[in-house]
Amino acid sequence: MTRPVSLQKRPISWGKVLIMVFFTWFVLACLVLPNLNLIRQVFFSEGGLTIKPFQKLLKSKRAMKALRNSFVLAPTLSLTVGLVGISLVLITEYFDIKGSAVLRLGYMTTLIYGGVTLVSGYKFIYGDSGVLTQLLIQLFPNMNIKWFQGYGAVLFVMTFSCTSNHMIFLRNAMRTVDFQTVEAARNMGASQWRILTRVVLPVMLPSLFAVTILTFITGLSAMSAPMMVGGTNFQTINPMIKDFANTQTSKDLAIILALILGLATMLLILVMSRIEKRGHYMSVSKAKTKIVKQKINNPVVNVLVHIYAYALFIIYVMPVVLIILFSFTDSKSIALRQLSFSSFTLENYKYLIESLSNYKPFVVSIVYSALAALIVGSIVVIACRLIQKNRGKKIFTTLEYSMMIPWLLPTTMIALGLMMTFNVKQPYMFNQVLTGTLLILLIGYVIVKLPFTMRMTKAAFFGLDDALEDASKNLGAGELYTFRRVIFPVLLPTVMAIAALNFNGLLQDYDMSAFLYHPLNKTLGVQIKSLTDDMGNPNGLALTFVYAVLMMIISSVVLYFVYGRGGKDNMKE
Amino acid sequence: MIQLKDIGVKFGDFQALKDINIHVKEGEFFTFLGPSGCGKTTTLRTITGFIDPCEGTVVVKGEDITHVPVEQRNIGMVFQNYALFPTMTVYENIAFGLRVKKVPKDELDKRVREMAAKVELTDQQLMRKVAELSGGQQQRVAIARALVTKPAIMCLDEPLSNLDAKLRVQLRNELKELQAKFGITTIYVTHDQEEALTLSDNIAVFNKGVIEQIGTPYEIYNNSATEFVCNFIGDINKLEADIIKEINAQTNAKLDPSKATYVRLERIHVNEEDIPGAAQIKGEVIGREYYGLYIKFMLKVCGQVIKCIEKNDGTKFFDVGETVNVAISPDNLMVY
Repeated sequence: MTRPVSLQKRPISWGKVLIMVFFTWFVLACLVLPNLNLIRQVFFSEGGLTIKPFQKLLKSKRAMKALRNSFVLAPTLSLTVGLVGISLVLITEYFDIKGSAVLRLGYMTTLIYGGVTLVSGYKFIYGDSGVLTQLLIQLFPNMNIKWFQGYGAVLFVMTFSCTSNHMIFLRNAMRTVDFQTVEAARNMGASQWRILTRVVLPVMLPSLFAVTILTFITGLSAMSAPMMVGGTNFQTINPMIKDFANTQTSKDLAIILALILGLATMLLILVMSRIEKRGHYMSVSKAKTKIVKQKINNPVVNVLVHIYAYALFIIYVMPVVLIILFSFTDSKSIALRQLSFSSFTLENYKYLIESLSNYKPFVVSIVYSALAALIVGSIVVIACRLIQKNRGKKIFTTLEYSMMIPWLLPTTMIALGLMMTFNVKQPYMFNQVLTGTLLILLIGYVIVKLPFTMRMTKAAFFGLDDALEDASKNLGAGELYTFRRVIFPVLLPTVMAIAALNFNGLLQDYDMSAFLYHPLNKTLGVQIKSLTDDMGNPNGLALTFVYAVLMMIISSVVLYFVYGRGGKDNMKE
Repeated sequence: MIQLKDIGVKFGDFQALKDINIHVKEGEFFTFLGPSGCGKTTTLRTITGFIDPCEGTVVVKGEDITHVPVEQRNIGMVFQNYALFPTMTVYENIAFGLRVKKVPKDELDKRVREMAAKVELTDQQLMRKVAELSGGQQQRVAIARALVTKPAIMCLDEPLSNLDAKLRVQLRNELKELQAKFGITTIYVTHDQEEALTLSDNIAVFNKGVIEQIGTPYEIYNNSATEFVCNFIGDINKLEADIIKEINAQTNAKLDPSKATYVRLERIHVNEEDIPGAAQIKGEVIGREYYGLYIKFMLKVCGQVIKCIEKNDGTKFFDVGETVNVAISPDNLMVY
């Protein structure tokens, strides 16, 4: 009887070695070293450790003010977004509000547009020559036309633009509320208010904590809103980093601000993961019943809540509606902010198609986003497979955590790191200067999308039935064949959905592009930002609106395929 | 056919299996029975190669396969949830193993269709996605997929445990018929004693990583080798010393009242005077559960409550409070 080959003694696979070499390089060269380099550049610039940059920071009035502003904005924003966010969830999922299906669509508009596009929409309504401002001026001729500027304006815009997480995660949490607990409370004589505050909201508390921290981080790293409606008086950390990064003498200030932002983000994420570890309330009931919308008993309250719900709806929908409508009007109408039937035209769309310089940013962003989504998807799928096959081995756990590094760092810091590390030849980047090339933005895009892709893909991998792989092996298939024919086809819908979401997000990106874009190949975000700097230029605005409409269409299609139809099971986090 | 010799398996510090010795003969339906966590699935996965034992050998048809990789063993397996590939059609699921073996197209098609016909899947069903099939059809696809590569052995890991009671019985019968039709050596893992008793030629009862008893269903049930086995299989009464003393007094049995003594429910009879060698003890009916097919009575005998069942043939139906004669024959007692 011959002794068969033992499982342990398989020859080393060169493919695997190559993959491991790639990941080691990728983690070090793209995720770790650029960020370490930032720290080195600031604190070790003169050969030894120096605290000069700190002194410089303390002396810089603008920088200190920006820091202060950010730390004022973040907590207040958390509060306002929290209040609005909870009310959105209650209006759409808990209370019996007439027309809630339409309301829900309105509240979800933040999912299809954001960043500079969204702010430009608000600016078009509330800004100094905005629709509402003009209306108000007729009523109060003496009012300040620059009323929509500064802290209040930033807070207002961001309050209504940062509720996406609430509409996704908090609504999901609401759906997990077991309606029998509500009935039980009612059976014991509890009032509606009591049921809401003692039975329903506590179930959502862990999710609420998590989204609040996310909002806090968003507030700290605000970029487009303060830039566009903050005015000179209310600039925050990120716009300041961008300003400083562009001047040779203040680069160190940019870096130190980025580090502070990074540190704050890390702390907050630490708090959040603690909260997440405590876990969510699991329903103990065996037969969970779906929530039945609650009619508000008190008629006065009922009317007030309806008014509130529709007021919110108008705030959410107005910018979208106006962007769409005005994208079909001539520049005169846009300049005057006046709609009339005679001014409707398709000229703006024609203008986009006919001029290379106008549609190029769109093409550039689509190509970048698609490439980045594809690359990050492939890297993460391979990484997840490695991690799944080597559960518990230290080196692969390290790989997993390394891939999550960008989660801890603000986009601006990652961008700065890349920009200031690869502006000289680095041996670990094959002695190539990347700053100013087309490649660096692609790398940046891949890096910022790593953590989200990693989390979602890993969940999909670990949700796989292990028996499928066992069955395939049992039928004689090798590892690669099993992955190719069995595992990957099962994961494909999820992987595609994640890629689509990534594509969506990157298409609208401004924060990363602002630092790394190639001067001859502006991305859409950069283009829109520069067009909307001058709200008085109707041609620029018209083009912005056309871009916005096209982006909204793409986003809506993507979201429909990911969340709307068959994709529901894939993308529940 | 299959021989497990002194198999030991460890997960870290935990000894999952110890000294497992099993001999499964050609064409036999062999069941691993035991509560969850007893090691039955671990043993099965050692045979299929998903688990590497730290001790002992697995021999199939005289060949040591202990360290042969899973994909080279050709042992068919049907998984607990069937593990059908959701992205493929029924046809592709069945063809999977043949494609791996690079069987030529014509032969592959012929074999898939032959196998499908044997398990009574229609051509139409072959082209469906697996999710569109009923539980019974899914089981047949899983069996077809496991058998199409002509393995020497078929292993089934609790294939009926996720189904509701009625379907379970139906598929159990279907499974037995298929096994008889193919005549393939089968290893079956279950925690359901009824399944084990009705399906098997031989049963190995597992407990805490060791085998308590191997035997035919009749032996396992009627001559349980250990206290664990007699408690795990079927319902049973443990008799206390007073009853045992009474039996000793009435018959010439010399039972030791200090030993654990058991009697099956159906071996106790009520108001039957002419059972030779049986002790007749006065008891009181204190409870009754009516099942239709049979009736379960709770009887107070010598201060202890024991259960017994009587066939619902219309001759025996006692009311609570009635005094009856309880017949227990020492031949039916299992003593440990």
